[in-house]
Parts: sequence; structure tokens; C-alpha cells
Amino acid sequence: MTVTKTNPKFNPVHLELIKNAIGSVVDEMVLTVVRTAYSSIMKDTMDLSSAFCDRQGRMIAQGLSLPLHLGSIPDAMDKVLEHFGDDFVAGDVVILNDPYVAGGMHLPDIFMFMPVFRDNYLLGFVVLVAHFNDMGGRVPGSSAADSTEIFQEGLRIPIVKLYEKGKRNDMLLRIIRLNVRVPDIVEGDLDAQYAACRIGERGIQELADKYGIDMLKEYFDELLNYSERAARNTILSIPDGTYKFEDFLDDDGVNMGMPIPIRVRVEVTHDEILFDFEGSSKQVQGAINCTMSFVKSSVYFALRSVMSSDAPNNSGFFRPVTVKAELGSILNPRAPGACAARGVTGFRVIDAITGALSFAVPKRIRAPGEGGVTSYSISGYDIDGRFNMFREAVMGNWGGGLNRDGLDGVANPAANVGNAPCEMVEKQSPLQVEKYELVTDSGGAGQWRGGLAVRRQLTYLGESATVQLRSDRRIHPPYGLYGGRSGAPSNNELVEQGNSEQLPTKFVRQIKKGQSICHTTAGSGGYGSPFERDPGLVLSDVVNDKVSREAAKEMYGVCLNGPPWSVDEPATENLRGTHEKEPN
Amino acid sequence: MKKSQTKPETMIPLPSGMRVGVDIGGTFTDLVFTNANLHLDKLKVPSTPDDYSRAIVSGIETYLSQKGINGGSIDEIVHATTVATNAILERKGARTGLITTKGFRDVLELRRIRIPFSYDLNWQKPAPLVDRFLRCEVSERVDAAGNISTLLDKSSLQDAIQRLRDASVTSVAVCLLHSYMNPSHEQEIGEIIRNELPEVYVSLSHEVLPEIKEFERTSTTVVNAYVAPLIGHYLDELRESLKRLSVSAPILVMQSNGGLIPSVTASKQPVTIIESGPAAGVIAAAEVARKGEYPNVITLDMGGTTAKASIIEQGEILRAGEYEVGSPVSVSSRLVRGSGYLLRIPVVDISEVGAGGGSIAQVDTAGAVRVGPHSAGADPGPACYGFGNQYPTVTDANLVLGYLNPDSLAGGALKIHPSLAEMAVSEHIAKPTGLDVLEAAHGVYKIANSNMIRAIKSVSVERGRDPAEFVLMAFGGAGPLHACDVARSLNIKTVIVPPAPGLSSAFGLLEAQVEHHTIRSVVMPTDKLQIPLLQSVFEQMRIEVITRAKQEGFDESTVHCSAFMDIRYLGQSSEITIPLTRLAIDQKLITETTASFEKEFERTYGYRGSSTVFEIVNCRMLARVSRGVAHDYAWDYQDIDPAENNRTRKIVIDPRAGPINTKIVTRTQLGAEPLSGPIVVEEYDSTTLVPPDWAVHIGKNWNMIIKLEVA
Repeated sequence: MTVTKTNPKFNPVHLELIKNAIGSVVDEMVLTVVRTAYSSIMKDTMDLSSAFCDRQGRMIAQGLSLPLHLGSIPDAMDKVLEHFGDDFVAGDVVILNDPYVAGGMHLPDIFMFMPVFRDNYLLGFVVLVAHFNDMGGRVPGSSAADSTEIFQEGLRIPIVKLYEKGKRNDMLLRIIRLNVRVPDIVEGDLDAQYAACRIGERGIQELADKYGIDMLKEYFDELLNYSERAARNTILSIPDGTYKFEDFLDDDGVNMGMPIPIRVRVEVTHDEILFDFEGSSKQVQGAINCTMSFVKSSVYFALRSVMSSDAPNNSGFFRPVTVKAELGSILNPRAPGACAARGVTGFRVIDAITGALSFAVPKRIRAPGEGGVTSYSISGYDIDGRFNMFREAVMGNWGGGLNRDGLDGVANPAANVGNAPCEMVEKQSPLQVEKYELVTDSGGAGQWRGGLAVRRQLTYLGESATVQLRSDRRIHPPYGLYGGRSGAPSNNELVEQGNSEQLPTKFVRQIKKGQSICHTTAGSGGYGSPFERDPGLVLSDVVNDKVSREAAKEMYGVCLNGPPWSVDEPATENLRGTHEKEPN
Repeated sequence: MKKSQTKPETMIPLPSGMRVGVDIGGTFTDLVFTNANLHLDKLKVPSTPDDYSRAIVSGIETYLSQKGINGGSIDEIVHATTVATNAILERKGARTGLITTKGFRDVLELRRIRIPFSYDLNWQKPAPLVDRFLRCEVSERVDAAGNISTLLDKSSLQDAIQRLRDASVTSVAVCLLHSYMNPSHEQEIGEIIRNELPEVYVSLSHEVLPEIKEFERTSTTVVNAYVAPLIGHYLDELRESLKRLSVSAPILVMQSNGGLIPSVTASKQPVTIIESGPAAGVIAAAEVARKGEYPNVITLDMGGTTAKASIIEQGEILRAGEYEVGSPVSVSSRLVRGSGYLLRIPVVDISEVGAGGGSIAQVDTAGAVRVGPHSAGADPGPACYGFGNQYPTVTDANLVLGYLNPDSLAGGALKIHPSLAEMAVSEHIAKPTGLDVLEAAHGVYKIANSNMIRAIKSVSVERGRDPAEFVLMAFGGAGPLHACDVARSLNIKTVIVPPAPGLSSAFGLLEAQVEHHTIRSVVMPTDKLQIPLLQSVFEQMRIEVITRAKQEGFDESTVHCSAFMDIRYLGQSSEITIPLTRLAIDQKLITETTASFEKEFERTYGYRGSSTVFEIVNCRMLARVSRGVAHDYAWDYQDIDPAENNRTRKIVIDPRAGPINTKIVTRTQLGAEPLSGPIVVEEYDSTTLVPPDWAVHIGKNWNMIIKLEVA
């Protein structure tokens, strides 16, 4: 690893102090939302991000937050500056959500920008982007995969000021309230977002008071250079070359059975890197079109995962990285393409990049995890006509890597969100959780086993409700690497009185009292040949019911005696020998 | 609450003679002794990690023989122990089984799914404390309202018991869905296991934590089960060894919430005594604050590997509802869980960062200077110890800057080598950055301080408290060196360094009170208030804590109960614990309490919610037992600090200005008249830096008060 010396003009101690201080401001913004938001998706799932951008709109620091928002803020910030120029005064607050005219990602994500002034000088903007429970549209939650144009997906907010000189634009708020199913929650969450921006504003102003505006500005530059150096060092550590990979989404939620290719060509030249998605699917009819800023986020995430430094996420980090996707493709759609469920496409972009990087830095990556968050909502109206909605995300596992097994029961690192406690679900919604468990034999076999699938089954106890669910990785399960096997495919079932019926990967449908939805995530990919796996580890997996005795023999070539279990060493050697270290 | 393992005890006599506070650390075991004259003695002995009780027994034996007194004159031993924490970190707890509701055996392993770090593919998830094959499901179901919807299937329970028997488990946790609403199935299972596996320790989740959220309750119950046999054994051994010194005094154990419990209760409910040392330090600070008439205090406790901050407001310690044992130290770990083992119990709210004396400073690959979280620990320790570590630590930087005595630390017990410190700072910080050695050392000092500032902000600013309205109390070996600079950055104008700052935890043990905490989840919106239900919940809890105290041998009249509610706006998830002004629950009290909630909410978050409906999530009861213990101890300072005269040393406050000649004094050389900095105050176990612009004097009870002289 190359050590790049600090720019002698800057004191590395001040750099660290200012970096910590800005980091602490943006983290505090996230904490404020988590504590004061109303919706579970903000307060528990934490589907939100904060940032500080300087007056030129360059992102200087990003807060504790969702990795997949990494690249979205700079694009939206650019659009805001393009629109308003220098028409900002203290007390203004800008919001937006539209991906086509305003630089948003998908309609449920509202971006909020607050200019920060000190002594009438614009220091920059504090930014908070957060996922709202509902933005209107044809399906509750505004995230359905089967919409076919953005007009079905909810209220489109262009770049507008929600506050001018500290005064709220009530007309705008009334329009928003009328278009969403949960106006009080949406307003409460907007308040939380606003409170966070105020906290951020105060923090940045204090910094300006401490260091002075001029010095602060110089260190903003140096912080960008600092992250750029860290990114370039990382890219230097990847061997030069071109690495290609292709992965697939099962379908777009409308045209079932039509697989969607995601192709990536990664080109590493010295300390610069190109991600070109040429050859990926054209724009699709369903709502999994992925706006360019989200593709960038996915790219940055994948690159950060192989980086050893914890330099701040900022625009400097992005400088040596180029991302290309054709206009009119699924990764750079034209209006009015539907894009509410684009998350799944971002996950697949990451999986495709992981595949490509596996040729370049095989020791640093892991086989892909479950394929991303499965998200669903169950909503309806109670007897008083009051709308209620339960939503959650189900995950997850990590794939195997060199000298490390996959992990069972963890979030996808790109979307680090929590689960909902079963007891809270039952206390607050007309639902009963039937099971929440790991699935035996679902992890991709390998010298380093993939993580196990997660299964969650909920029974509806009310009269009737609309279920919207988005999953993937049934036809194209997470692949294995270097001889490792793919994970088990995902599945959705409707269960009623012991009978079960398979449901599509993505659907919107009604359910009645007593019916259950059972979702099983995919298992993750294995790494290395399963016949090379230490029989002791296979034994331990069988003892713990993570691998069955039969699979131990068939997939791993390990024969067991018992129970109580022990490895039948002669039989194992014999079996592994016959297969010449490769299972059929 | 019924506990079948409880045996009645003899009455605990009120302590009147000598009391001993014992705090076990990684390197040293600190003992503080009191006598009838209310004077304090101290002793530091090396810890004995193979069996921590050895150091305690030998320390007490040494003291008794030094003073020529017998063990019978000790009235009480108050103890903070890391035995449970170490058992978890080293995975040396009991072989534990778990019994749970069908469909949910993986709750313990799935946890809250969230991972603690976003970009680290090398992260290893902590292995569950109970292996999957020892997590057994039984067919039964209690619904969210507490009704039994599926009866307990005895044959599935028999299968589970057989499996646990075959695996020779020594401890069993039982955690069923919604048992906090209706514990009957857990009780039934508990009785059956106790009959069938009489040697096995049983932890029932509704007894350990009758609170909603299955993962949190399961995890807490499992940790309890995992450490219980070990803690029970440890305390029994300690009691036996002390008896050989004719010490038969009751042993009280510090809990992580800052209260004490008798050792017998600790053996049954050990989950509350994990990581109790840091809590004791905060208790000490609260007492010093009370006596010194500073009601609002931020504490800064800096040790070898970390610095810890907490907050005392109006004399009350602020508490948090959960923490993770075994998680790496960072401020963000307060928000993003998943790197350790979750315990949902009341704890003193302490924020910890990797900025201790042993924290290593380095230049990262992109050119920034970083401090921590890696630590050289006590062994090999800082470079200046000469035990083989070449990397500069915060202590090395302090030594280069002249803040520390260049000959030795710990009152001469530890020889040090300034040249090694200078070499480490020069080689690893100055050279790669182009700074000179003094600038580099000063940078390390400042960055360590900025880490501490972050810890302090996370307990203050993030709770809506402005640090400028507090005084900073610094203790631990290294805290007083950094306190004034940290204070200034936070606009704090007064710093207090209590006497014997390196022994604060041991001293705090002597100041703590016996406390019992209990909780019930009710999850009740205020527009559907059920006053009679609340009344009966609080009455049940009151009876429960009083019964517990009586079983421990305390008289009912010495038990003082106070009630609390965890309240939130309906629809939000951030509840705040609000004290009730009385125990008699009626509509008026609820109205007053929700008004207090709104006030506190606004204070913490800066605005009031738009909802007028609240939700009472949990009811809590705290019972404090007053033992009639004196709290007016005094340090006999002449014994500790033999005064030396007219010492000076060159120290660096501003590297551009270079070293300045600075007076070195001991605490006993200071008086009531403020003396302006720069001054270094050297003591047996700690060093205090009084920078220019600050002035120091001695206040009540030997406290060193350092005030900012200019704004």
C-alpha cells in the first residue's frame, strides 16, 4: 500500500480535528431523526442519510447512514444549485423527491437541504434524505414493483422551498398531506428531518466560529483531497486490467419469467477505475428501473467494501471513479419510467461488480449475500376507516470468502436495516408471526460455506388487506465463487390451513383473515470447492442442523456416524477421493 | 415474585465499623478501607486474572496485618467485578441451553439483523452464547394480549429436556413469546426443569426482564444463564476465603446501574453486575458533586485503554436502558448495535471512546493522524515503559510534552524512559507528516482530546444538554491531564479533580446504595387508559421489590420505593423515563406525568410533538435500601503526598512557543488561594495539568478546583 504524504500546506492534526468535528455534526443529524421521527422506517429501519456539502455543492462528509445513499446526495445537490443559483437566505429549506427533474432516487425518498450561513456568508448545505412511509400512488407504501410509469407511484415533488426565511410554505405542506395515506406521520417525519437540519446548521456554524470561515474552507478542500488519496490508494492496490461479469434479476414484476441482465465491465488503470454497464438490459416496464445516482451509490459501495481506509465518504472519494450507463437502459432510465422498487436493481449492480472484482482481488471479496432486502407491506383500513400499514424488510446473510464462512442472520451490508421485533409486530398490527428462522441446507456449499436463508411467516388476523412484496433471486440465486455453490433460491408462499401456494417474486394482492405469507430469502454463495471443506466444520454444521446429514454427504463428501454425530473418516476419504475433490 | 432457589437469610446488620471497597481492573486491584473515624486508606495490589478473588483476599490480609487489626472488625465488603464480563469475552461461561416457542429458536442468532459496520467484509459476527442444537423449541403460544392460544405441549418439552440432559448443560434459559404478559408457561417449564434437572441453574425470561421485544429479552436471559453458575461459584469462593481471615462481613456487589445488591442476589441475577466498575466511578463523582455542591457534572474517566464520559444532573445519574457487552469501543456503537451481546437492563449511561493512556497514535495511509482505538494496554503498554511496544501512545505524547514525571509513574513504582517515547513519536508521527516532534506529540494530545469531546457530546449534546452548564470532573489515571483542554473546547469553565483520582471506582463503591430495579411492559395509549391496571402493576412491583429486599435481610422500613414510566408520543419509538411524583396512580398523576414528559422531550429534542396522545410503554419501580452508612469520609492527605519543594520542569503548551518552565507541586502544597497556571500537580496515581489561563485551588474535601480565568 502506498502512503501518500499529507499536503504540507495543511496540518494533519487540524485535518483530523476538523474531520472528526464535521463527522460528529452529520452523525448527530441522523441521531436526531432516529429519535424524533414517527415512522418505523425512519426510526427503527433507519432508511436515511445525512451530509454536509460546501457552498459549491461538494459533499464534504456523510453521516451514519444507509450505504446505498452514498452517491445520491451530490447529484441532487447539483440540481438544487442549478435551479436556485445563489438565491438562498438563512431559514430557507429546499425539498425534492422526483428522480427525473430534481435528482431524486425514487419518490418515497425526500431530500431536504438547508443552507448554512455565518456572518451572511454561505458556508454550505446540511442535507438529510429519508424514506417516507407513503407518498401516495396506486399501492400503499408507494414502492410497488408492478407500476409501469412514475405517475402511478405517488406525488412528484420538484425542487421547491418548504421554508422561506424560516417561514413554512403551508400550501406545499397541504398538497403533500392530501396526497399521502398517512398525512400525520409524513408531517411528523418532515418535522424530524427539519429538526435534524437545524441541529446540523448549528454544528457547522460552531465550527466556523472556532476555526474561522477561511480556514474551514481550506480544510474542506483538503478533506476532499484526503478521501481522494484514500480512494486512489485503494484502486492502486487492485491489479490493472479489465474485469467483466454478468448477473441477472429474475423479472421486472410485470413481465414474469423474463430475466434481466446486468452487465459490468470494470477497467482499472493505475489509480483510476471505470465501471461501464454497457450491455445491461434496456429500460423495463416494471418499477425496477434504477436512476443513475443510485447506480453510482451501488458502485461506490462496492468499491468501499474492498477499501481498507475509513476516510470519510465525500466527493473526493468519487473523483477517480467513472460510472457509465446508457440513457434508456435499466440503469439510466428515461421519464416516465417507473422506479419505486429500484432497490433490488442496485443490489444486483453490487453483486455484478463483486463478480467482476472476484477476478481482480479474490482474497478481499465474499460471494454475494441473499440478493438484498426483501421488502413488503401489509395495509388496509380498519373499521373506523383509518388507514394502517405494516412494513418491514427481511434479510439476510453474507457469502463465503477466503478463510471465512458466510454469516448467518445479518443485514445486507449495502442496506444495513434492522428487523421488527415479532412481539411488537403482534402488539401493534393484526398479525401473528408464525416463524422467524434460519433454513437448513440453504447456504451455498463451499470450502467456506455461504450464509443460511431466513424464513419469516406472518398470518393476517384482520378482515382483508393489500400485500405488496418485492423479492428476487429465485431463478438466479446468489452465485458461488471458485468452485463454491450458489445459495438456495428464494421463495414466497401463501399458506392457508396447512396448504401452500407459490406466489411470484414480486406481487401486489389481497389477503384475507387466516391467510399467511411465508417468505424465504435466498441463501448466499459458497467460496471454494465444498470437497475441500474441513470435515470438522461440516460436522459442526450438521450438529447444529445448519447442514443435513444427507447434504453433508452429497455436497461436501463428508460421511457422518450418529447421532451423536462424528465424522466417518475412511468413508469420507473414500468418497472425496472418488469424486476427485469435485462433487457432481 | 417467587424464586424457588431463594433461601431465607439472616438479617444484614447496619455497618458501623470498617468497610472495604474493592474494584478489580485488568492490571491493578484497588482497595479502599474506611474506619470508624471516617478516614480512608487505600491499597493497590496486582490483579490475579487466573482467580481474581486472590488479589482481594491478599490485599485485605496485607492491610489487616499492617494495621494490626482482625478480620472481624470489617463490617461490609463492597465489590465491583469483571468476572462476568471476562467469562463472556473469553467464552468461558456455562454450557447453556435455551427453551423457546416453536418457530423461534433462531431469535437469539438472528438478533436485530443490523450489522455494526457498513463497509467491513472482514467483520465476524459474535457467535451466539447458545449453539443452535441447544436451542430447543416447545409447542405453546401466548398471544400479544397475554391469552394462551396454544397450550404447552409437554411431550415437546420432554424432548427438549432430554436433549439438554444429553448435552450435559449446567444452565438453562427459558424465553417464550409474550411471557412478559403471561408467564404461566415459563413458570410451568421452570418447575418441570427444576424437578428433572435439579443441578441445573434456571433463568426464566419473565423474571430476568419482563419486557416486550423477544430478542432483547432472550439475549438478556441467556447472558444471565451463561454467567450465573460462574458468578455463584466465584462469590462462594470469595466468601469462603475471606472466612479464613475471619472476615464474615456481608459482600455487596455493584450493578451496572450504579446500585448495590447483596452477593446472594447477584448470584441469582448476575446479569445486572456485568461491567460494574465504570458505574462505580460515576457514583463516586456523584457523591463528590453532592458534597461539593456542584449538582450538574460531566465525568471524564480516562484509564489505560479508554476514556468514559457520563452525566450527573441535579445530583442524579442519567441512565440508559441497554448496552452491549464485548462490543468494541466507539461512540457510534451507542446507536448501531450488533458487535457484542445485548443486555437490556438499566445502566449508568456511559459513552466510551478509545482514548486512554495506552491508545496508539498513527498516521493513516492518506495522511491523517489518528488516535486509537487500538491500545497497547497494560502490557506491553506505552513505548516509554520499555516493554517492547514501539508505537507512540497518548502517554508517550504526554511524556514528550513534559506533562508526566520523566523518571517514574505510580509514585515511583514504574520506571519510564522518555527517550523511547520521543523515538516513537518521532518515527511514527513526526517523520511521516513532516511535523516536528513537539508538534506531533501535541497533535496526538489534541486528537485524543477530540475523541473525548465526542464521548462527552454523546452523553450531553445528543440529549439536549449544553456542556457549558456543567462542571467537568476528571479522574482515572490520565483524565486530569486532559481535562482543562477538553473543558475549554466545550465551554466548560470549571474542572474538578477529586482526591485520589486513580481510585475513584473503589471509592464510589463505598458511596453506593443498595438498589432493586424492576420493570413491566404495558404498552398502553393514554386515550385508552386503564387506571386500575396501572395501579395493580405498580402495587405488584412494589410488593416484589420489598419482598426481594426482605429476603436479602433488610428491614421493610428501610426500603424507599420510587416509580417511573417510560412514555412516548403514540406512534414514536423514543420513550423517555419519567419519574412519578407519588405512588398512588390516578388520572391527575398521569396528566402531570405526560406534561413532564413533554417538557423533557422538548428539552432533549428541541420541539414538542404534534400528537396529544401518549403511550405508556413500561412501568418501572426502583427500591433504594438505606443502610445507615456514613458518607462523610475524608482522605488523610498527608499520608499520600509527602511534599517536595521548588520543583520545576519544562512543558509544552503551545509547540510554536516551545517549552516553558513550569512549577511542579503536590496537592498538599496547594491551598484555598487560587494559583495561576501553568502548573503540574503530581500525585501517587495521577497527574493534573493546569494550563495558562486556568487557576487551581483546593476546595472542600481535598477537591482540586480549576477555573478558567479568562473567557
